Amino acid sequence: MATETVAVTESTPPARRARAGAGLLTWLGVVPFFLFALAFLVAPASYLFIGSFQTLDGQFTLDNFRNLNQPIVVEAYKNSLQVSFATALGGTIFGFLLAYAVTLGRAGRVRSGLLTFSGVASNFAGVPLAFAFIATLGRIGLITTMLKAVGIDLYQQGFSLYSFAGLSLTYMYFQFPLMILIITPALEGLKREWREAAENLGASSGQYWRYIAFPVLLPSLLGTLILLFANAFGAFATAFALTGGTINLVTILIGSQMRGDVLRDPGLGYALAVGMVAIMAVSITAYTLLQRRSERWLKR
Amino acid sequence: MAFLEIDQLHKQFGDLPAVSGFDVDVEQGEFLSLLGPSGCGKTTALRMIAGFERPTSGTIHLNGRDITNQPPNRRHIGMVFQSYALFPNMTVADNVGFGLKLKGMTPADARRRAGELLELIQLPDKGGSYPYQLSGGQQQRVALARALAIEPQVLLLDEPLSALDAKIRVELRAEIRRIQQQLHITTLYVTHDQEEAMSLSDRVVVMNKGFIEQVGPPFEIYNYPRTAFVAHFVGQLNVMPVRVVDAAAGRVALGEQTIILEPPLAANGQAVTLAVRPEELELGAAEGHNNLRGLVESVNFLGSIVRVRVAVDGATLSADLFNERLLTLPKAGEAVTINFPAHAAWVLEEQG
Amino acid sequence: MKRGAFWSWLWVGLGIAYFAIPLIATLEFSLKAERGRYSLAAYRTVLSDPQFASTFSFSAGIAILTILFSLLLIVPTVYWVHLRLPQIRPAMEFVAFLPFVLPAIVLVFGLIRIYSRPPFALTNYVWSTNLLLVAAYMGLALPYMYRSVDTGMRAIDVRTLTEAAQSLGAGWPTIVGRVIFPNLRTALLSGTFLTFAIVLGEYTIASFLARPMFGPYLANMVRNKAYEPAALSIISFALTWAMMGGLQWVTHRTPGSTQVTTGPR
Repeated sequence: MATETVAVTESTPPARRARAGAGLLTWLGVVPFFLFALAFLVAPASYLFIGSFQTLDGQFTLDNFRNLNQPIVVEAYKNSLQVSFATALGGTIFGFLLAYAVTLGRAGRVRSGLLTFSGVASNFAGVPLAFAFIATLGRIGLITTMLKAVGIDLYQQGFSLYSFAGLSLTYMYFQFPLMILIITPALEGLKREWREAAENLGASSGQYWRYIAFPVLLPSLLGTLILLFANAFGAFATAFALTGGTINLVTILIGSQMRGDVLRDPGLGYALAVGMVAIMAVSITAYTLLQRRSERWLKR
Repeated sequence: MAFLEIDQLHKQFGDLPAVSGFDVDVEQGEFLSLLGPSGCGKTTALRMIAGFERPTSGTIHLNGRDITNQPPNRRHIGMVFQSYALFPNMTVADNVGFGLKLKGMTPADARRRAGELLELIQLPDKGGSYPYQLSGGQQQRVALARALAIEPQVLLLDEPLSALDAKIRVELRAEIRRIQQQLHITTLYVTHDQEEAMSLSDRVVVMNKGFIEQVGPPFEIYNYPRTAFVAHFVGQLNVMPVRVVDAAAGRVALGEQTIILEPPLAANGQAVTLAVRPEELELGAAEGHNNLRGLVESVNFLGSIVRVRVAVDGATLSADLFNERLLTLPKAGEAVTINFPAHAAWVLEEQG
Repeated sequence: MKRGAFWSWLWVGLGIAYFAIPLIATLEFSLKAERGRYSLAAYRTVLSDPQFASTFSFSAGIAILTILFSLLLIVPTVYWVHLRLPQIRPAMEFVAFLPFVLPAIVLVFGLIRIYSRPPFALTNYVWSTNLLLVAAYMGLALPYMYRSVDTGMRAIDVRTLTEAAQSLGAGWPTIVGRVIFPNLRTALLSGTFLTFAIVLGEYTIASFLARPMFGPYLANMVRNKAYEPAALSIISFALTWAMMGGLQWVTHRTPGSTQVTTGPR
């Protein structure tokens, strides 16, 4: 079978003109782009990275990372991780159920409407989103007052919009639409023939889901879970506008550090940011790898 | 009683009848093709046999058992899809062994059996590969092995070669026939490619617009098409509008020229359509044959055959000549005579 | 009703409720500025607030500058890479992926630390601070802008198109102006809409660079007023909707050109 090749070829043909050293001029064309990236993406990150390994007078040190182990910082990381993970998981599950309902389920009629709305909602964040939830579940929010009218006082029951639960509920507004946007194509990528082939080989519907559909979707589901996690982990504006900075998250702490060196240690601030970037980098890389695998499976 | 008995199968999609009066008996070990243009109902018929579509009326019996309303996962019918439909998350061996695993076979046994099947499809080293690492042709072989692994009573193939390159298609075609004969498995094969259907099948079912046009061995379908549709769809066909001159003598007129056919014919004076296959035509005049004069329109060299198109009174006829090195090709514009024997031509019945 | 249908519509119903209730609550709130009756008073106050006009137009101006500079930077580069240097595409993609790893708060942290001090001291002047702001937004928008342009160029196979135009005797101005650019309209427009949506309501970077953007203005209103921020939130939502609607409108005929985006958090 010599005629059958399996090579995964790049869509771009190999460069015909770009011979090795094909003139400095050729390479000059991409210099502005990389210069921009260097100045406004790489340099700021590197500055923080280098700073995190330096003492005030520029000596190398690991103290900044050692000093992360103090209650306010540990709590900030813990809160950030918790909120991010909870909303990522919630967003993944709820988003999946909704996407399933409009693709393989029986609510296909509202598919395009849901996708449009998800596109908007996943971009609707920051201050206006925070205010929308204040108007809904704040102390004089619509739902709060309506529930009060029927005898349920949310705030007396221990609920507060400005707490972990309230923040999570707010984040969910941009979390699950993102899940819908990413998982819908994956669900639509499940080929009818896979189900039929499975049935043909004697599989029940449950076995089809267990052995084929779920494993095929798993990279996508895990990848999206991680992406949602990163999405919430880096959020600042929404949390800041909602709580006025009273909730202790990593992003909020970095913000306070920038405004007034609340940690009384610039190096520690850098270490805080570097820790955050590290978590983001790992998450986004994992997401990319998982998404690549998923695409390979779902293609054609 | 035949092994697979399909009686008066009918399928309606809304107002649209997709398959009407589908009635075929298939013998054990037979290779049957469903041939027809797209939308003729061949795939729908196959999917009803597989159990993916429920017939509006009619019955399907397999080995004496009524399977008309049985769910697909209980039928023991193997299926190969046009798009391969290999499970992307499983290795080749796991794909092949999937049906066995569901049957409760131990992993070791399933692996051994999968190995045997990979030998059968001549991909013994690919057990650990994933589908995306294989070429289309290889994937389709694996899909075949997967369908065969469960030792189905009937094997269904839905346009299995359509997505492949021409060369691979021919290779794999031979492979499918070899395996089918080796296992002596009853096979239904859906295709729109007449060459595929002809070369593979014991019998061909030609379908059009949901109806069966003709059922028979390839030789019969090709040489004795029962309807105009079959005649046109299968192979190349020359058609000539002629007028019956003398029904008893089998004499008809094509413009100014006379053609003798085998009687009986329709009444004198009636216009009918005459059909003859291009390979029945020869260049030059021949004693006792129908000789027609015309002008060469074009000459197409196709390799093993040379197709010469000749304009005669009121019709353009193609003559397929076998290539040989000593052949002198006529030139366009040249006046030539072509001939065919009386028994080679037949009157097409009205299309309907 | 079948069981599957019940569950499908239950989830869809919950989803719709979740989407709609905060919007309804905000809308209702925004209409209550006058005691005892619904009115558009809050909207009138907001729209006649000179600060609204100034921050909004400032944000729009920054957004337009961001889009212009981004296009100027990215379109020629991506074109060049497709044409002459396809082997460095992985490097381009890596760069375009960096902003995902740098949350806005970290990005602005690093930018301020470097550029507010000598030798750059960009924050000493208004114009150079604005420039820094635009650069930061170009960074935020880079992944989306790059993806739009790259997908667009791949879809039309710029290399073949360029060679075809050259073989017909076209010079560079003709090739770029009459062949490449018109074919990239969808890609450029979608990048534009996305960038606009990102910049217009951005809060984090704007507030740390202390520029009079719409985001910080809105945050300030939330802190000090009751009904006006509701009206502003509704206006922002409408703007987001308009941008996303515009995006869908330009891309819906080009399958595969949609990309998943997230707003500034």
